[in-house]
Amino acid sequence: MKSSSHSSFPLSRHLLNRRMFLDNTVTGLSSIALSMLLAEQGLLASNEPSSATVGGKEPIRPKIDPRQPFGARAPHFPAAAKNVLVIFCSGACSQIDTFDYKPELIAQHGRPLPGAEKLVTFQGEQGNLTRSPWEFRPGGESGKMISDLVPHLRKLADDICFLHSIQGKTNTHGPGENFMSTGFTLDGFPSMGAWTTYALGTESQNLPAYVAIPDPRGAPQASVNNWGPGFLPAAYQGTDFNAAKPIRNLQRPESISEQLDSTTRDFLQQLNNRHLERYAGDSELAARISSYELAARMQASVPEISDLSTETPATLRMYGADDAENTLKAAYARNCILARRLIEQGVRFVQLFNGAYQTGGEGVSNWDGHKQIKDQYSVHGPVFDQPTAALIRDMKQRGLLKETLIVWCTEFGRMPTFQKGASGRDHNPEGFTCWMTGAGVKAPFTYGATDEFGYKAIEDVATVHDFHATILHLLGLDHERLTYYQNGLERRLTDVHGNVIKAILA
Amino acid sequence: MQRNLILGVCLGAFVISPVLAEDLPPAATGTIDYETQIKPIFESKCLDCHGEDTQEGKFRLDRKSSLVRGGDSGEPAILPGNSAESHLIRLVSGMESGLVMPPEGNDRLTGAEIGLLRAWIDQGAVWPGAHGAVGEEKTATDHWSFQPLAAVVPPALQSEWIRNPIDAFVLDRLHQHHLQQSPPADRRTLIRRIYLDMLGLPPTPEQVQAYVEDESADATQKLIEQVLESPHYGERQARYWLDLVRFAETYGFETNRERPYAWHYRDYVIESFNSDKPYDQFVKEQLAGDTFGDLRGLGYLVAGASDQVKSPDVNLTLMQRQNELDDMINTTGTVFQGLTLGCARCHNHKFDPITQTDYYALQAIFAGVNHADLSLPLLPEQEEERLQLQTVIADLERQLGRFRNVLQANGTVEAFPPHRAKYVRFVIEATNSAQPCLDELEVFSGDRNVALAKHGSQATASGSLSGYAIHKLKHIHDGRYGNSFSWISNEPSRGWVQIEFPRVELIDHIEWARDREGRFSDRLATQYYIESSLDGQEWKRIASSQGKIPIGELKKRTAAEQFGHLPPEQAEAARQILKKLEPARQRMKDFTESLRIYAGNYSQPGPTHRLFRGEPMMKREQVTPDVPAVFDHLNLAADLPEKERRKALAEWITAPQNPLTARVIVNRLWQYDFGRGLVDTASDFGASGSRPTHPELLDWLAGELITRKWSLKEIHRLILNSATYQQASLPLPEALLADAGAQFLWRYPPRRLEAEPIRDSILSVTGVLELKQKGPGFSLFEIEAENVRHYNPKTSFGPPEWRRMIYMTKVRMEQDAVFGVFDCPDGATSVPRRTISTTPLQALNLFNSTFLIQQSELFAKRLERDAPEDRAAQVRRAYALCYSRPASDDEVNLALKFVTESGLPAFCRAVLNSNEFLFIQ
Repeated sequence: MKSSSHSSFPLSRHLLNRRMFLDNTVTGLSSIALSMLLAEQGLLASNEPSSATVGGKEPIRPKIDPRQPFGARAPHFPAAAKNVLVIFCSGACSQIDTFDYKPELIAQHGRPLPGAEKLVTFQGEQGNLTRSPWEFRPGGESGKMISDLVPHLRKLADDICFLHSIQGKTNTHGPGENFMSTGFTLDGFPSMGAWTTYALGTESQNLPAYVAIPDPRGAPQASVNNWGPGFLPAAYQGTDFNAAKPIRNLQRPESISEQLDSTTRDFLQQLNNRHLERYAGDSELAARISSYELAARMQASVPEISDLSTETPATLRMYGADDAENTLKAAYARNCILARRLIEQGVRFVQLFNGAYQTGGEGVSNWDGHKQIKDQYSVHGPVFDQPTAALIRDMKQRGLLKETLIVWCTEFGRMPTFQKGASGRDHNPEGFTCWMTGAGVKAPFTYGATDEFGYKAIEDVATVHDFHATILHLLGLDHERLTYYQNGLERRLTDVHGNVIKAILA
Repeated sequence: MQRNLILGVCLGAFVISPVLAEDLPPAATGTIDYETQIKPIFESKCLDCHGEDTQEGKFRLDRKSSLVRGGDSGEPAILPGNSAESHLIRLVSGMESGLVMPPEGNDRLTGAEIGLLRAWIDQGAVWPGAHGAVGEEKTATDHWSFQPLAAVVPPALQSEWIRNPIDAFVLDRLHQHHLQQSPPADRRTLIRRIYLDMLGLPPTPEQVQAYVEDESADATQKLIEQVLESPHYGERQARYWLDLVRFAETYGFETNRERPYAWHYRDYVIESFNSDKPYDQFVKEQLAGDTFGDLRGLGYLVAGASDQVKSPDVNLTLMQRQNELDDMINTTGTVFQGLTLGCARCHNHKFDPITQTDYYALQAIFAGVNHADLSLPLLPEQEEERLQLQTVIADLERQLGRFRNVLQANGTVEAFPPHRAKYVRFVIEATNSAQPCLDELEVFSGDRNVALAKHGSQATASGSLSGYAIHKLKHIHDGRYGNSFSWISNEPSRGWVQIEFPRVELIDHIEWARDREGRFSDRLATQYYIESSLDGQEWKRIASSQGKIPIGELKKRTAAEQFGHLPPEQAEAARQILKKLEPARQRMKDFTESLRIYAGNYSQPGPTHRLFRGEPMMKREQVTPDVPAVFDHLNLAADLPEKERRKALAEWITAPQNPLTARVIVNRLWQYDFGRGLVDTASDFGASGSRPTHPELLDWLAGELITRKWSLKEIHRLILNSATYQQASLPLPEALLADAGAQFLWRYPPRRLEAEPIRDSILSVTGVLELKQKGPGFSLFEIEAENVRHYNPKTSFGPPEWRRMIYMTKVRMEQDAVFGVFDCPDGATSVPRRTISTTPLQALNLFNSTFLIQQSELFAKRLERDAPEDRAAQVRRAYALCYSRPASDDEVNLALKFVTESGLPAFCRAVLNSNEFLFIQ
């Protein structure tokens, strides 16, 4: 592979890492020097190349130094965005009741969806077309029509690039979440964040490269598979924690004093360094030594970043984190603040969830409004709207959106009809809305459209693969060349599909 | 798809609708001449991309055979005689959604041109000349792994280092690369390596000592034999196999529910390795254990995930089924043949000669396999055991029946306080159908039935059904049971029957039934009362249907509810019987469950069709069960019993002529012993996989495996006894620069242990490892049993959790909270070789988790027990246990200084985290 110009370290960073590394090491200098030499010559283990090419394109495999699996790596080409924040509304948030305005649906309210007499969706047969219980009004100077369910987000209409024509390929939640997060409906494929950190590492050497922030109520439907590493090395999985629930095993055990903890760690490093002297040049051994050092740094930096007491009262108010009336909103707002702080510190990929399966399921604690959509969304809208809007405004004020792409998504959309005999909407992967804001995308902008009722994408149809290809492109990655060899295949986030949606690029 | 079409038609105004068949341009009239009418169309519109020089999608239109076979899509381009269904016509007319040919709008074919093509196809696609020939095409391949095993002779090298032929192959290769072998490893390193590689546990200091002191010439050979005979060998080897076959004990997907009987397959795999079951037999049992003798092997077929969320949406249901079958096809190709077949689900394989038809031919083999539990047939001694249990339970049930306030057709007991009576009358007010029927009315004084005619009792009734000898009033107290000796009232739903005893009796309970033989439950009295009298004038109600528990409800009632109506003594007697009955019932339940295994159920499938682009709604021609055409044809009938299909596949895979089976498995064994295979893409022996580093050695080992009756232990024995395996693992700078990964084996390549041997080793050295084998596993989760299962990690651990990790109930997608981050597979797909990553989360878990802290404390206690009050001896003991070597004086001093300042548990915490403990060297 002669792609080293894309993937070698910037020299300064490399030297810095080397100095940091040596400072932390008492003995074993010669062995480390040898590891360095090997790394520089590209001889350390990497995902082995095969003879295959992907669609005629040569794969670009990141050159990963096993001692620094998270070291920052250059993108394939100059990137518009350095970091990504994905906001995921779990449970399938209805486009009909939020962002996809359809006057014809209002006009035809109460009539059958033409041609859908025999249509059977996830839970069964369809009732009639039903307009949203929320009014739509123009937002921003662009006048984009957005519903009363999300009034704070409506004010940001001019900053947002809407994609109304996303199409999925499953109408079940677990596979749907898998598809949106990993590009495959089955379990066990690497998540978007895993691919990103595998390719790019991270700027922050004190924090995990990839953080997933579950909803205060618990995990989403596909749970850990949303941020799993799949077949990529475990190093690239998302580390999950939120403002209320810290990283498992991050803190020293209560029974052990800080001093004892630190002397024990020193003694361990002594044992390891002596051992390394005998195995000079074995990079795996050196890698384990440095992993304990990163762990120690995380022990200090993660509690610090999760400590929101340094935020001003004005900030807390803006997010709604001080809302004593709506504690759920306050809890989600704290997760939003945490997301901003992580991005600020250079965490490469953050995935922020709104909605959980664990504590109620169908519509109660997530966006799965099958039966009582008005009552249920009246709870979810206020929890989601103000904190999310504040997060965007705050990041914009702080200049973070120059280098950060924010992506809002959900696993699929919902029907413009109510289910037969119910007051809610069934699953609908045929056409739904996602949006982006921040680095590299046009705003205000609207891409693609569903039919006159909001049922099916008909204009500039964009698959989830296209959506993924575009996100990677904004990160400076060619989705056809970012690959990993597994069981005979050069695997990609976009499988064998995907086209960058060039129309939305700024 | 169907959904799209329905809407496409009806919402035509705004939905882009595909063209329908009736919209096709009509076929031209007259006889078509290929040379003058068809070839020019191909030349001007198609051949730029699908011709001599370029064949996009591996498809060309300059020879008829290519049109008949089709390109990458797996779809024949023409069906001679049927233009409307021909893919070529559908493509040029825009009928295949999402794809129109030619792609550029201004090159599109005119209606007239399409009409010509249609007529040509309808007339049989006559194509004169050499390029029109369509022969029986045998896909040829010269790919290395598809060739027969080569007869290999080990290189004739003279070297004292060579201990067996493996070494000759390896040394030859080393010389070619100007590399030298390493000196032999010292004995302590070697015994530790062999134990960890083969058993996944470190040797005890005593085992190390015995080996180090064994001066006999065959000390190492004896050690190897001991290790191969250890029952822990199977536990270690099984872990690799279970990774490979994506084994887990939950369904996966969003509900991820438990498969409580899946562990039998795990035990089956462990036993198979331990008994050195010949590999061909092992393969056969997993594909067709119902033919080859061990049903437990079938657990392989259904070891993968399956979606339990069902919907009325047909498309979704078909897709779920396709995914299940895909899992079986893919895994089988990967595991046994090192072939990636999954690509051919939607189109022909891009790199290997596997067509879409091949894929669906394999699907036809598995099409009758369904995810479900299977009940093992009873062995004769088990039949006996069950009969005994049944008899005990039936007897106890009968005894208990007397006390229960239950209404049932085959016998109902009415208990009441003992009292004196000369008459008893049974009055029926309603039935579940028709006229009421009683087969016998028994009135007891103690254990004596005083109602019997032969003792002089008289029966009278409101009326009796006439005309049936089997239904007479006399049968009500003739002592004979069943419908054939019963009384039926002459009125629908009602009637009474009365018994007069010859004298006054002290009666205490009554038994009656519709049919004690249990064949009939119609005509059952459901509303009734029973009264007694001393004089036939004054009647007292002694029992009734009121408050009776319907039989189906019984299990939900407590003893108090069941016997609450009884006087205290009888209630106590009933409780005593129940106390015997409950354990007997539990034994029966355990017995039944012990026969249940998660191994699938099997039904004869309908026809299998090739699916265009893998879409379940787009059926194409039917395919028959078969193996990929590039290898062979099994010539099986389309409607062959499904069991026979799997049998045929198993026999084909395990035939000695199969070029892949033996190569693939010996390469896996090599990988287990060296960390990396001779082919480092262990599950891909196809064109996109790696080539072997030592092709001759691979073929030699494969040949040995077959010669040695498929014994896997024989291959391990060869490897372990080789000088190659017994080399030192120390790094050498020049060799590292030339071959950092030691793929040419200039040293034994050291590597970090995987999750399971780390956990097992910790438990082993701290002295708490539970070596219990077999049976249901232990869980590391508290399970919230909602519709969607939630697995919350346990936070305290005791002996049940201290078994070897292979016995941990494997939950798909949810990892053990401490060791999962050490690259444990998630059970989603086959994992031939684990990645070995190094992350700060691993460090945090191993340094801070409750598990590890508890083990450090246990380890400290053990050291104090082993060497009381002697700190230096405790340190030395720790080194011997964890590193299999003595500590140097320097190391002891360093450790003593630390232990004095920080205590023994802190020392243990550090040692259990140290590299030397976690690496095989």
